[in-house]
Amino acid sequence: MKFNWRYSFSGFLILLILGICLAAPILAPYDPNAIAVADAFSGPTAKNWMGADDLGRDSFSRILYGGRITILIAMAATAIALLIGTTWGLVAGVRRGWVDEFLMRTADATMAIPQILFALVCVSAVGASVISLPIVVGILLSPTTARMARSAVVTELASDYVTAAIASGTKRSKLILSEVMPNIAPQLLVQLSINAAAAVMLEATLSFIGLGIQPPNASWGTLMLQGYAKIWNTYWFVFFPALAVTITILAFNAYGERIRVTMDSRRSSV
Amino acid sequence: MGVFLLRRAASSLSVLALSVVLVFMSIRILPGDPVLAKLGAATGVTPEALEALREEAGLNRPLLVQLISWIGDAFRGDLGVSYFSQFPVTQLVTARIPVTLEVTFFIILIAVVLALILAPLSTLKPGSIVDRVIGYYTSIGLSIPGFVVGIILILVFSLTLQWLPSRGFVPISENLVENLKLMILPSVTGGLTATPYLVRYLRASMLEVKQSPFVRTAEGKGLSNVRVLFRHILPNSLVPTLTMLGLIVGYTLSGVVVIEYMYGLPGIGSLAIESAFKRDYAVIQGVALTIISFFILTTFVFDILCGIVDPRLRLAKGQKSEI
Amino acid sequence: MTNALVVKGLSLSVPSASGRVTVIDDLSFDIPAGRRVGLVGESGSGKSLTAYSLMRLIKEPVRIEKGEIFLEGQEILGMDMKKFRHLRGNDISMIYQDPMSALNPIMRIGAQIIESIQLHSDLNRSQARKAAIELLASVGIPEPDRRIDSYPFEMSGGMLQRVVIAIALSGQPKVLIADEATTALDVTTQARVLTLIDNLAAERGLSVLLITHDLGVAAQFSDELMVMYAGKLVEHGSVSQIFSNPVHPYTKALLNSHCDYTIDVNEPINSIAGQPPRPDNRPTGCVFSPRCPHVQPKCRETVPQLEIAQDRLTACFRAEELFELGRLNR
Repeated sequence: MKFNWRYSFSGFLILLILGICLAAPILAPYDPNAIAVADAFSGPTAKNWMGADDLGRDSFSRILYGGRITILIAMAATAIALLIGTTWGLVAGVRRGWVDEFLMRTADATMAIPQILFALVCVSAVGASVISLPIVVGILLSPTTARMARSAVVTELASDYVTAAIASGTKRSKLILSEVMPNIAPQLLVQLSINAAAAVMLEATLSFIGLGIQPPNASWGTLMLQGYAKIWNTYWFVFFPALAVTITILAFNAYGERIRVTMDSRRSSV
Repeated sequence: MGVFLLRRAASSLSVLALSVVLVFMSIRILPGDPVLAKLGAATGVTPEALEALREEAGLNRPLLVQLISWIGDAFRGDLGVSYFSQFPVTQLVTARIPVTLEVTFFIILIAVVLALILAPLSTLKPGSIVDRVIGYYTSIGLSIPGFVVGIILILVFSLTLQWLPSRGFVPISENLVENLKLMILPSVTGGLTATPYLVRYLRASMLEVKQSPFVRTAEGKGLSNVRVLFRHILPNSLVPTLTMLGLIVGYTLSGVVVIEYMYGLPGIGSLAIESAFKRDYAVIQGVALTIISFFILTTFVFDILCGIVDPRLRLAKGQKSEI
Repeated sequence: MTNALVVKGLSLSVPSASGRVTVIDDLSFDIPAGRRVGLVGESGSGKSLTAYSLMRLIKEPVRIEKGEIFLEGQEILGMDMKKFRHLRGNDISMIYQDPMSALNPIMRIGAQIIESIQLHSDLNRSQARKAAIELLASVGIPEPDRRIDSYPFEMSGGMLQRVVIAIALSGQPKVLIADEATTALDVTTQARVLTLIDNLAAERGLSVLLITHDLGVAAQFSDELMVMYAGKLVEHGSVSQIFSNPVHPYTKALLNSHCDYTIDVNEPINSIAGQPPRPDNRPTGCVFSPRCPHVQPKCRETVPQLEIAQDRLTACFRAEELFELGRLNR
């Protein structure tokens, strides 16, 4: 079936990317930091599949390792966003009243701050590291998750099965955990995918402007920063990481889209 | 109309207030000592000297006091003084704002024009090749980070074709042509990044409106498809899209920061980045306030525009006349 | 008498799980100039689709499979669309069901009428505006010079329907289609609007196709009646003929089930047993055969054609005998 194929294609792609990057230490042909001046500036060759940079370091290995860092940071950020955002939204959606009002206004206020700016502010305060970046990005992505979680919860709580359950005396906490959560899980999954895509994009952007992962560590963004400086003669420094970032983001977005489309079609055929 | 304006203004102001507080608090609460950062790795700084500096910078006062005094100053136009250069922040910001405004203006212009072309094209014949190609473009466009778009444009237009310069800025007062030439790549970069969102949203809105009964009435009059599209479908799709456009401006302002950095434009975005590197909190705060205010102001303006386009929003409820 | 509208063998289909299925089956009828024809049938019988076909407003996934429609002698289904747009809204126009949603909510009603006027004439802006005001007056809207600048949400349903009628009359229509034009209105307003259409049609010598599920409205307004069931025209004759002696079993049952204040409250309402067939489950032979009290084996095998039976057209193999039966029972 055509739709199934595409559904699993983006999912497959994600797993592929994840697998490759996380297995970087095994897969990389060279040490990413190994300097080999003799090979410097070489384009894609048999020895260096994606060429070598100005210090002769193998680009392919650097991209693998870079992907590892980018993916890890993105995953951590997504997890944090999910945790904070879902709790935020759930509390607001369940409690309603002024708690809801206040929490959502805060979410709006956070969303009113342009993302890069906010990240800038935070990163300048705490510095950029593998610990701080996921937290900053995660916090950035949580308001949207919160909004989504809240509206999902509010809709669910208004359904008949909830009213029935409450009428038959089910405890509210049990109700939320065992009945409502599974029903909003697909929407959370969509949000998760989209957040992952956004996290990769944010990390790459931050690293590109130098406020992300610092050398000698290099995420894809950092690689692009280094590549951008040398763009005039050796465009491939930038090209491959850029391609990697775009494909990863695309895969996550496509996956999220697919789930959403599936959910919608399932709902409308009821 | 007056009541409508007031309501919107109140809402915007409350969001502004909260965001500002957020920014301010983030800087103060997050670990990292601005004074220490200022001094850098200077050795031999005694704890007393440190304390003295902190006292001087007013960092020892209670948070709330700091916040209120800063807001108070801000109202009077005083955004503090840069930790590093001792320049008043307000001065730094006002000097660089025109650049950012110019770039942002062009970016939004390009994004809106492109969206107003692509979305109707897409809606004219849904499912057609044109529609699908535009669909692929939006999917891919959403996934390409802004700076990657910039890199590609630079590679093509600066490096290969050598048509356009890739860095630098010339004020309009000096040389209009040069100024515009240098604006092209940054604006197109920003525009192309924002367009996919706008097109997606506008297209969805238009397709929904297309199902409305009044569209059938319009067709029933004998109007051409194009006329129905632009005279009936598009205006009714604008209201929700205008709200989205407000958000797009927010995205753009975020992206402008990176774009200014990439293309060497001396605007407040690049100022923010430079200050972030130096941990110059005074400047960052000032810039953040400016950008956020601008964003909220734009959202406010778009809200008002919504009211103009859709009379139902601005005329008070219950103005029904005799049966 | 020339025919304002001639429909020949119109068939429409929609997609389903088992491929395309018929929703309108070989529909044929004539409407002479100046005649009022009522088209009745239950929801889903294909009445509105018929109306949209006449205006070529059929959109995917619904498709016109075959048929011809002649508007004053010109075949319009095969006509080039650009050419047809000159006729649409001009020579043939339509009044829609829900006036509240039939008008562009963010455009003043005057502008919407003027748009139509200017499309079908050479009038300039101010001339068109004057014409619009006159049109508003003729449909019975008070203070038309003030009202012309109102927005739809500022007006009531009855008023809006008059605006829709005004738009329909802004060209030089020869045929007016009223698709459930009064269904969304309350009874009093309904009567007023019907009277309005009646007068305007008489003034301008229009043919009217009144589509409704309300038999009373159809009887009151029309000269002729067409009865549709599951996409098929089953009976077509003058109102008096049909009401005095309904021949087709469906028409008979329909008239039987009609409720008004004269029925006996202690008697159960006469409903027709069964359900109309789903499009993907169309019976072979006569489409009414599963529910027909007079069904014969022949009915399940062959599709009865609309044929003259005495004084009207009926699609039933037993038309003649049922006619006699009905006549005797009077």
